[in-house]
Amino acid sequence: MTAPRPARFDAAVTGVGMVTAAGADAARSWEAVVNGGVPAGVGPHPALEGLPCDFAYVADADVRGKLGVAECRLMDRFAQLAVVAAREAVASAGLDSGLWEGSRVGVVIGNAHGGLPFYDEQHASLRRTGRVSPKTGLLTPVTGATESVTRDLNASGPSFAVATACASGTHAIGAAHQLLRSGQCDIVITGGAEAAVGRLLVASACQLKALSTRRDDPASASRPFDADRDGFVFGEGAGILVLERPEHARARGAAVLAQVSGYGAATDPEATVAPAADGAALERALRTALADAGVSGPDVDHVNAHGTSTPANDLVESEVLARVCGEGPLITSSKAMVGHTLGAAGGIETALTVLALRDQTVPPTANLSSLDPNVRGHVVGKDARPARLECAVKTAMGFGGFAAALVLTQA
Amino acid sequence: MDAAQHVHEVLRQSFGVDAQAVSADTALHQLRLDSLALEEFRFIIEERMAIDLEDAHITSRDTVAHLVNVVGARAGS
Repeated sequence: MTAPRPARFDAAVTGVGMVTAAGADAARSWEAVVNGGVPAGVGPHPALEGLPCDFAYVADADVRGKLGVAECRLMDRFAQLAVVAAREAVASAGLDSGLWEGSRVGVVIGNAHGGLPFYDEQHASLRRTGRVSPKTGLLTPVTGATESVTRDLNASGPSFAVATACASGTHAIGAAHQLLRSGQCDIVITGGAEAAVGRLLVASACQLKALSTRRDDPASASRPFDADRDGFVFGEGAGILVLERPEHARARGAAVLAQVSGYGAATDPEATVAPAADGAALERALRTALADAGVSGPDVDHVNAHGTSTPANDLVESEVLARVCGEGPLITSSKAMVGHTLGAAGGIETALTVLALRDQTVPPTANLSSLDPNVRGHVVGKDARPARLECAVKTAMGFGGFAAALVLTQA
Repeated sequence: MDAAQHVHEVLRQSFGVDAQAVSADTALHQLRLDSLALEEFRFIIEERMAIDLEDAHITSRDTVAHLVNVVGARAGS
């Protein structure tokens, strides 16, 4: 059965906030990603010593200084990063959480692994002393980022976390788009946050052989679409957008950076870890998102790809993009600059896509020196590319077979 | 370091509260130390001072002075 398709709905993006390994805020992250060059936020990580992949991207943020001890104690790091990015996004949108009608504001933030660092710490404490912190159940669920942002910003509308592994942030923004379209909120604070760089998860991913083992040169390890790529590299961070119903943004005279105009999602039930060879779920998600926005594949000018730098992902993804959009779109992956931030990836990379539309510039794919000859499409290497960008796509895939796509359009 | 110093240091480092800047009669809830915070405080101070506060009765309606006294009594016993 085919359901009737609702009219296109353009959610206004009026603010962005980021905390990434590339920069402590959105402006610095964007500037570093556009200028490309050598990734600065990646290096050996003390918790990973001795592992085949012993390095990671660490977010550059004075969280304690920005939030204070009293606020920080009720959040694990992923939630702290989310609050810092959300405050920035709301401020850049010209909104004041002290003045808004909180019941019309929702919060939808994607996250994959919750408070893994706090789990680790408390597990060690339990073994050592037989006791654990009473905060364990509060700080560790994937809801931690969403819940902390609602408290910090006095947002009392519909709020929830979204968990679809590495696609969480992208699904979250799609869910936010739906909340606005249905009229349940005027404003949704949305995106993704993750801080799960720890020995447990990284050691496990090493065993899956999903990670780069380029220990002699961590800065060149994540190299999406490059012929010499050998896996992804963990990262942490947060990327948050302020989405508004277009009438709400217009009524208050807000500057609109870009629009979220379409969302699609699908699942490959069999693709537990590696993406399905035919990328079927990603293709369906992308086609659904394009139809939702009332555009067709060849209308897409720019794609901020999932581009994890694993051999399988980048091939499957480029095939899907070429099949659906042709070879016209300028493709980039930001993961060599910010790392693979798992549940935060969709938030950070959608924020970067918003800024690409604002500045009419496609950022380079850092570390791309020799394009994999099997990769189809136009991947932007080395230098940023100014271009006429009206329509852009953000794609995401996650362990478990989850796929999501967003269509963003110029304001 | 005496009990008061330990208490003040834990409140500052772990809870962002400067208990020395307020009157000793200030209720703990006025410093945003709710029941969860006090349970966490107990956990930290027991570890730090190697004492047992398991059966000590502390609520957020108690004062800073009471908290110091309770900890001091256990540390001295």
